[in-house]
Amino acid sequence: MTAFAALAFVLLAGGSVCFLTRLFRGPSIADRVIALDGLLVTVICGIMIEVTREQSITSLDTVLIVALAAFIGTSVLARYAERRSEEGGGD
Amino acid sequence: MDVIAGLFMVLGAALVLIAGIGVARSWSIYARMHSVAIAPTLGVTSVAVGLALSIRSTTGYVTAFLVVILLLVTGPVGSHLLTRAVYRQMQSALDSVDELARDESSNS
Repeated sequence: MTAFAALAFVLLAGGSVCFLTRLFRGPSIADRVIALDGLLVTVICGIMIEVTREQSITSLDTVLIVALAAFIGTSVLARYAERRSEEGGGD
Repeated sequence: MDVIAGLFMVLGAALVLIAGIGVARSWSIYARMHSVAIAPTLGVTSVAVGLALSIRSTTGYVTAFLVVILLLVTGPVGSHLLTRAVYRQMQSALDSVDELARDESSNS
């Protein structure tokens, strides 16, 4: 299980590097929101793999909180972007 | 059983990596949203299946199931909100067919 977890962590690190690239480069707010959402999903997968590696579910409740925070952050930022474009702010 | 669980975890992590590559290299915002949608659905589901196969506790099963259901429900809602914001912001369609503008103009 440790070898599988190490391989999965390497893959997750590659994915988070890709998401961070888009987070820094993204031309609009929506690109950054998408990258942030993907980063939170990467965090969720990482916590789940860590729970499986340690065989203890003490930190599994964190996954629920992170999933809820990801949805609330995405919806709030989408409403912010929409309202700012309605006011004619550009970008 | 642990080998199967580890394979599911590696599969989920690989799907997250694929989603990241798609987000980093796609050319349009719609294509990026299309490619990021695989991470919270199939990626997290595979990792949760691996967790449920490996761990031996009912609380673990229930929490993993709740996480998967939560992500499957909230993913399309957030994606819909974001797509509407992008559509209002760009004021232009990708191709010549703009069905939302056509429907809105025919309704009003």
